[in-house]
Amino acid sequence: MAKTHTQASISNQPPNKKKSSLSEKTKEAISGYIYISPFFILFAIFGLFPILFSFYLGFQSWNGLGEMKFVGLQNFEWILTDPLFWKSLSNTLIMWVLGTLPQLIIGIILAYALNSALIRFKSFFRVSIFMPYVTSTVAVAIVFGIMFNDQDFGLINVILGWFGVDPVSWSTTEWGVKIAISTMVFWRWIGYNTIIYLAGLQAIPNELYEAAKIDGATTRQKIQYITIPMLRPILILTVFTSTIGALQLFTEPLVYIGRTYREEGITVVLYLYREAFVNLAYGPASAAAIILFFIIIVLSAINVFVANRIGK
Amino acid sequence: MKKWLSMMSLFILVLALVACSNDGAEGEGGDGGSDGETVELDFAVFGSTGYDVLIEEYQKANPNVKITLSEGEMNDVHNNLFTSISAGSGAPDIALIEVSQIAKFMQAQDRFYNLNDYGAEEISGNYLDWKWQQAQSVDASFQIGLPTDIGPTTMFYRTDVMEAAGLPTDREEVAAQINSWDAYYEAAKTIKAETGKPISDAPQMVFNALRDQQDQQYFNEDDELIAEDTVKEAYDYTTKMIEEGLIGQNALWTPEWGTAMAEGSYATMPGAPGWMVANVKGNAPDAGGKWDIAAIPEGAGNWGGSFLTIPKESEHPEEAYAFISWLTAPEQQLKSFTNNGLFPSTPDVYENEEFLAATDDYFSGAPTAKIFAEAAKSVKPVYMGVNYAIVDTEINTALTNVAVEGADPQAEWDAAMERIKEQLERQ
Repeated sequence: MAKTHTQASISNQPPNKKKSSLSEKTKEAISGYIYISPFFILFAIFGLFPILFSFYLGFQSWNGLGEMKFVGLQNFEWILTDPLFWKSLSNTLIMWVLGTLPQLIIGIILAYALNSALIRFKSFFRVSIFMPYVTSTVAVAIVFGIMFNDQDFGLINVILGWFGVDPVSWSTTEWGVKIAISTMVFWRWIGYNTIIYLAGLQAIPNELYEAAKIDGATTRQKIQYITIPMLRPILILTVFTSTIGALQLFTEPLVYIGRTYREEGITVVLYLYREAFVNLAYGPASAAAIILFFIIIVLSAINVFVANRIGK
Repeated sequence: MKKWLSMMSLFILVLALVACSNDGAEGEGGDGGSDGETVELDFAVFGSTGYDVLIEEYQKANPNVKITLSEGEMNDVHNNLFTSISAGSGAPDIALIEVSQIAKFMQAQDRFYNLNDYGAEEISGNYLDWKWQQAQSVDASFQIGLPTDIGPTTMFYRTDVMEAAGLPTDREEVAAQINSWDAYYEAAKTIKAETGKPISDAPQMVFNALRDQQDQQYFNEDDELIAEDTVKEAYDYTTKMIEEGLIGQNALWTPEWGTAMAEGSYATMPGAPGWMVANVKGNAPDAGGKWDIAAIPEGAGNWGGSFLTIPKESEHPEEAYAFISWLTAPEQQLKSFTNNGLFPSTPDVYENEEFLAATDDYFSGAPTAKIFAEAAKSVKPVYMGVNYAIVDTEINTALTNVAVEGADPQAEWDAAMERIKEQLERQ
């Protein structure tokens, strides 16, 4: 460290000027950068480098060991003409809708309930609703996998049986797999989003509500004209994080459908994982990652557009 | 602005240099061990090998060697190994590789020591030929690993279910009556009619049992896909039985599959190797005495087993080789069998009195060692190929679709072949 300083100070010496120690301001700046450097260093090693490397790999043919061979756009062509890739994309989007939309809507309702004066044991409820978020994803997937057992004696199938519904094969049917996985996502993230909404609700100054009350606003009007507009930044945040999270859905389907990579439940990230680490086709896998990157950008842009219209 | 940018970059550069210089320091003091220095070896394994006991024994005899064992889940261990040899750092001194993955690592020959350089050729006679060949390059010049255990296949069966169906329960008689796959099919119909139970609960078990009996499986030695000519028959046989309701729907390794073992909801487990014994005992601890083992119809195949390899990164190949050649020697393989049920790949042991005397009360007192040894003798070498797992996964998907969805077998087979070709193209 000390060495760095002296070197830096020497290298920053403007010529023909009396040697002086660093100015206070520069010193402060340096210490500031040193304090924040761990993140940037770690990001450079574990974030930036892999990102750039996969952009490079997207144009190569490589099995992880041998020579890399430049193949131009071949990988992209493969991915874009692979029906399974499109299937994985549509799976991801369907699970996104199934898992995310209800989550956000119910999250707001729950947050509203937790914030109202009518509920006792608030802290208890707040903690318990947040609990799913801190459980391990793998554990969640295993437990849900047991609940969504294909057999007649699986928990969910038994419950459905009470209502006279035939047992569903949760691990092989088109909708069964998606509903099971979306349920896991919903269960795990609902608490997280609720707590964020709750924080947002509590940040709304009470004077606004009081003023509205004096003006004779109904509850519906209060929600429409105060709560939703004031929550907008929070809404945008949750929609964004949920979208990106849903598009990167990986652990739940991997644990739930196991290493069968069945097409009913394969997500984009699972697809590229299989491509890279199971089939050792790193080029196409990187190409798929790049394509996913652009898809996320496009969807985020749409999100911004939509979110900006909320509460207008 | 410029000032702090240069400052920042310099700082990162220094840190990066510091981070990198650590690696260099470790390189010093290589080639140690000859003059009383302690040699440390990292040893990565998967599953329950029971090697820790043997390592202690070895360390007592060789005080200058210290071996650190790390255990993990099979897929993870292989993925980690692949990643580290591809990155060129982080591999252990000794790595255990499973037979279905060995071909994949053979592609990376240059990342492993050729054990022939250390005298592997002299001891090749201790092992079964086919097993030895699986870890050998096609021209026999390169030996990537030494054989540990093998998985010769037999047929486990439930005596209670067989009895209820009016079939023999004695292992000799079972083997005599169910001596072909046609007889197996007939037995399945009898069991279904008498007890309502399937003859096997997992489509994969039947398919794998048949597949493992073929001389060639998914690929020929030029890595061309030949599944259509080799295992399509096995697939057709399995799907026919599924469609007639003679095979259950469970997928291997699932909780339901384990439950079925405990409940005895089916009659036989064809194609079960030695290491499956531990699985059955684990899943059905209370079913002792209700299981037995017979020879599999039409000759045994092999399912599983592993090899010990030394990645190039190791700085102590000689010490590592000394250890693995000791660990895979007949005496130690015998110990592994008595301790942990890993069936030896050294045929000399099969003549050993102590070994042959091994029986298992759980399996109605069956002479397990004798049965597996008999099976091991009829196993033929099979070339598995680099992309074995891709084909296997897709065929399993097809079988599951037939079993669970009632899909059309031929259409599923074609779709699976389509998916396989799609993936192979990209290699």
